[in-house]
Amino acid sequence: MKFYEAIVIGGGPAGMVGTAILGQYGVKTLLLDENDFIGGQLVKQTHKFFGDHTHYASVRGFEIAQKLQDDISSNSNVEVENSATVIGIYPNNMVVYTQNGKEHKVQCKKLLIATGAMEKQLPFVNSDLPGVYGAGAVQTLMNEYGIMPGNRFLIIGSGNIGLILAYQLIQAGVEVRAIVEALGKIGGYAVHANKVKRLGIPILLNHTIVKAIGDESVSGAVIAKINDKFKPIPGTERELVVDTIAISVGLTPLTELPEQAGCKVEFVPELGGYVPIRNEKMKTTNPDVFIAGDLASIEEATTAMIEGKIASLEMVQELTGKDVEKKIEDEIKTLALFRSGPKSIKVRTGLEKMGIKAPVISKPQINEPKQDIVGKLRAVLECDEEIPCNSCEASCPFGAIYIGENLNSTPVLNLDKCTGCGTCVNACPGLAIFMLKEDKENKTALVGIPYELLPLPAKGQKMWAMNKEGNYVCDATVERVTKYSSKTNIVYAKIPIEFSQSVRHFSFPKKESPIICRCEEVTLDEIEHAIDNGITDFEELKRLTRVTMGPCGGKNCKLVVLGILSRKTGVPISNLSHGTSRPPVKPVEFSTFLKDGDDK
Amino acid sequence: MEGRIKAHPILEFKGEKRVKFYFEDREIEAYEGETVAAALHAVGIRVLRHTPNLDRPAGLFCAIGKCSSCLMEIDGVPNVRSCMTKVKEGMRVRRQEGKGDVL
Repeated sequence: MKFYEAIVIGGGPAGMVGTAILGQYGVKTLLLDENDFIGGQLVKQTHKFFGDHTHYASVRGFEIAQKLQDDISSNSNVEVENSATVIGIYPNNMVVYTQNGKEHKVQCKKLLIATGAMEKQLPFVNSDLPGVYGAGAVQTLMNEYGIMPGNRFLIIGSGNIGLILAYQLIQAGVEVRAIVEALGKIGGYAVHANKVKRLGIPILLNHTIVKAIGDESVSGAVIAKINDKFKPIPGTERELVVDTIAISVGLTPLTELPEQAGCKVEFVPELGGYVPIRNEKMKTTNPDVFIAGDLASIEEATTAMIEGKIASLEMVQELTGKDVEKKIEDEIKTLALFRSGPKSIKVRTGLEKMGIKAPVISKPQINEPKQDIVGKLRAVLECDEEIPCNSCEASCPFGAIYIGENLNSTPVLNLDKCTGCGTCVNACPGLAIFMLKEDKENKTALVGIPYELLPLPAKGQKMWAMNKEGNYVCDATVERVTKYSSKTNIVYAKIPIEFSQSVRHFSFPKKESPIICRCEEVTLDEIEHAIDNGITDFEELKRLTRVTMGPCGGKNCKLVVLGILSRKTGVPISNLSHGTSRPPVKPVEFSTFLKDGDDK
Repeated sequence: MEGRIKAHPILEFKGEKRVKFYFEDREIEAYEGETVAAALHAVGIRVLRHTPNLDRPAGLFCAIGKCSSCLMEIDGVPNVRSCMTKVKEGMRVRRQEGKGDVL
């Protein structure tokens, strides 16, 4: 049996940061991870992270994973075993794992368990049907392997994961029919919700899924409104045609291994369910065992990384005798700052139940917006919810954005200092900053929108300007597109000045026009357009658009086309020329004409 | 190949080496490094097994090796998590019917 000073189970954000620190302090460490790569769930996160600029804010999840992997692989004190599935923990800190069909036993002085969490189940009729996935599973298929499990999605739950998933699905080019949320308000950050709302995805509050439809696989879903006891209201059911249902109703910590290690667990719903009891330094009731990340409380990667730091620093202290108490205190304070906003109230309540007191910190505040300067190219900040992020403040090269000591405080822009450079638009993980410049003389406004979709509009392109709810407001003409290496580009387009405050997205005009001539595939739009351009004679219309000139000879659409012509011109159908009928009236093979059937 | 994202604004998918494996005797092409479950999803196969008692179809749920919903018979071994098993050249994959024969 091999012996290590420390073993870390789970190579997600918490375990990776913990491993890196243990290695840095010279602790012989083994990291065990079940996947054939480390990074945990970060590898499938394509969005930029919120947080403090010293903690990877504005960096995309998979890029954070890469950086953490580099930290670990460059350290000679660390051994990493991939594809290593821990199946049990036995007395005296003995960890048993399987790898390539073989069993391995390893032992250590101190153990850091960072096994994370898994998707919660939501029971409804047919919830076991193929095509119903945990939201994370869809992300794995889509963002790790580039594989789409479906084309039309329904998302259950409007927490950050559900909202992020919806946005990522649109980025990958599929349709999201709706997000349903049982509560009366959206669970996730407002900025994440705004990102999907302006793409036209409805978020249905006080709704639930009643059942999935399908025999072998999902082909639809029934949703319904619910009452205040979360029961479906009869008569409000409606069927959605979707082929995939993604469940994002929360995560639950994976406590099996800490329980086997003798750590006491407690049911604390605010933290995600059963969680190991631990102190503020992440030590469990087994003094050799530490935990970090979602296993300790369901939060996100940034807090997981800070917990990984705290746990590993305390392990270093106990293993080597080095005094790193000051560092630990600083991290505990950073963590308390992260959790001080209104969105973290559940976690704070849960931690209090466990007897973990947070240090005194400055409270977040709503910073009052300054007077707007109309007519100047400037940033417009739409970040009015107290969430732990200050990436805009850190990004501004001119010091024009202020947040203050507590990163949960809302940002305020000093318009005198703002130069209109757009750096903050690119940095904001919530895509909640826009650019605006009014031109009163020409009654137009230039609006700059962060754009992370394909295809990227080009200069001169006509777009539809959409409002916060994803509804069409007016036409827009693209003036320029600023590309960034971060892949959050900015599309600047001109719109009429009266819509300057309401436009939040540009979408490609949707050509949803009925096909009139099915042989030649001519739409109503095309016919009306031709008539508007002066083609008011049926014969001319035929020649220009090819309506009625396909294999059916106009049997299908002639009367419809004449109806359109009549409606647009005001000339009764009876007065219109309706063309000349010529043989053959049915499709005939050319060779038929070479064979004379009369020559017997 | 169908079911694959062709263009993405943020990510690049560089499947390099192709691997062939068999699902129910049907030859399926995948990329090296993909899990069995992912490779099957790429060709539109979502039903990965039928349950022991009620014979209901079941598929992928968590995709990270936790939920045991995606168990399949791989190279003759039943109850293998198809979401954690990488495709290999010539691998034989079958839908698991029921609990799977251990012997």
